[in-house]
Amino acid sequence: MRKKILLAEDDPDDQELFFEFLSDRTDIDLLPPVENGEVLLERLRQASGNIDLPDAIILDQNMPKCNGLQTLQILKSSGYHAHIPVMIYSTYIDSSLVKLGLSSGAVLVMDKPSDTEGYHSLIDELLKVLD
Amino acid sequence: MQNHKSEKISFKEEMEELRHQLFEARETIEAIRLGMIDAIVVESDTGNALYTLKSADLAYRVFIEQMTEGALTINNEGLILYCNSQFAEMVQFPLNNIIGSSLFDFISPEDLDVFRNILETSWTAPAKTELMLKAGNDKTPVQISLAALRLETTTALSVIVNNLSAQKKAQKELENANTQLGKINRDLEVSNRDLQQFASVASHDLQEPLRKIQVFSKLLLEKYNQDLTAEGKKYIGKIIESAGRMKSLVVDVLNYSKLSAREQEIKQVNIREVLGELLEDFELIIQEKKAEIRIADLPVLDANRGQIRQVLQNVISNALKFAKKGMPPVIDIHSRRLASKSFESPEKKDGPYCLISIRDEGIGFDKKYGKHIFELFERLHSKDAYEGTGIGLAITKKIVEKHNGLVAARSNPGQGAEFLLLLPLKQE
Repeated sequence: MRKKILLAEDDPDDQELFFEFLSDRTDIDLLPPVENGEVLLERLRQASGNIDLPDAIILDQNMPKCNGLQTLQILKSSGYHAHIPVMIYSTYIDSSLVKLGLSSGAVLVMDKPSDTEGYHSLIDELLKVLD
Repeated sequence: MQNHKSEKISFKEEMEELRHQLFEARETIEAIRLGMIDAIVVESDTGNALYTLKSADLAYRVFIEQMTEGALTINNEGLILYCNSQFAEMVQFPLNNIIGSSLFDFISPEDLDVFRNILETSWTAPAKTELMLKAGNDKTPVQISLAALRLETTTALSVIVNNLSAQKKAQKELENANTQLGKINRDLEVSNRDLQQFASVASHDLQEPLRKIQVFSKLLLEKYNQDLTAEGKKYIGKIIESAGRMKSLVVDVLNYSKLSAREQEIKQVNIREVLGELLEDFELIIQEKKAEIRIADLPVLDANRGQIRQVLQNVISNALKFAKKGMPPVIDIHSRRLASKSFESPEKKDGPYCLISIRDEGIGFDKKYGKHIFELFERLHSKDAYEGTGIGLAITKKIVEKHNGLVAARSNPGQGAEFLLLLPLKQE
């Protein structure tokens, strides 16, 4: 079954790259991306039943209003959506972000890829966790 | 006339005699004051009279004369009946002229009321206060303690005067130093925060566009491969390469700036173990270059594991990088214990310091660069010949120094290099 992936990313270039590299994969469906954590939470609230809910969420760390970690913490404390696996990705990752991300409930904390291979292996890693 | 003359002579003689008696009397008083006399014999019409000074007094008189505080007795009007030479020194006034004058004369005008009050209350209970004494044209800060003395025939007040000049001065100096230190600390905090913020913001915000340059260049290369000439591809390759270099520079600068900021976690670290992990990381390049790495005794010491790993990684990657062309690198790693924190220190089994030597047989460097190579952005080779950001050894030095250790590098061109890490076994 194709997994539905929802990306929260404020940078339009990065949104575009995501689709550019990944839209021809047959094992995933890319849901229309949201531009920050706030919009993501709103989108999840509006989803009616499990049909519209994503199988996994990818959060950019550096987003205005509600960054990746903050969004993650709200998601994991909400109850309704706490079960959806979340990955954080960021241009710059250090050990404290990894530690905080994982302890807040993220399944993965990864660098933003910079080529085709990178994008595919990011999704591969995420799918491994979903199975 | 004759008569007149002899009268004059006898007056002169009498004066001389009186002067002599006065001198003797003064001597006696001085001797009594200093405790050198216990009894006085006085001639009189009825024979010699012996006046003994109570023997217990002797010790006290000596004691009072020797003590560092000023000591006086005064009557209820403040008239000074006795005073030691310390007090005379404090008020810079001749001792002989003090006795018989009023203590009020030596109190600074602004403190007269304070003194009047304490004088009154001290008759019922001992009291003390701080005030200023006149001292020539100057003033001396003192603490005075007053207590009533009930003597056989009369009552008086004993006054102990503590000179606070040195204490006040030291206190003032300490306050000044503290204010100064506080200011320096605040400045340092601000500049540290600025630096950290700069490093973090700059690194995040610098990396974002860099990554984009890389991604889009690669995309261009992938998607439009057929449309590009060989030269076009080469240029794009250069763009990707430069962006990659810039990215590692930014990451290294960020890591360097973090070293000064963060409190580090210190644990017992087994250097042999860390080295084992590192060699696994280097496995590919070791195989590729057919490198030989010899490891002898290595210590277990107090350190931040991640940072020490970084130090060893930097030095070993240099040793692998700067091998002689066409020759497999040979790296020798061993350690010995030292008696003190010096490269000249004699070896000592169970010494508190450990000297780790990492020696290679690579291209080496002129020994005049031995110090420079640990400075930020110091490169001895053009980046075309050997890649690197020029930050690795600066990080190495900073980490070792944060561990209260020393680094040094010894080499001669063509004769390999030896990197020395001198580290304490225990961190305070």
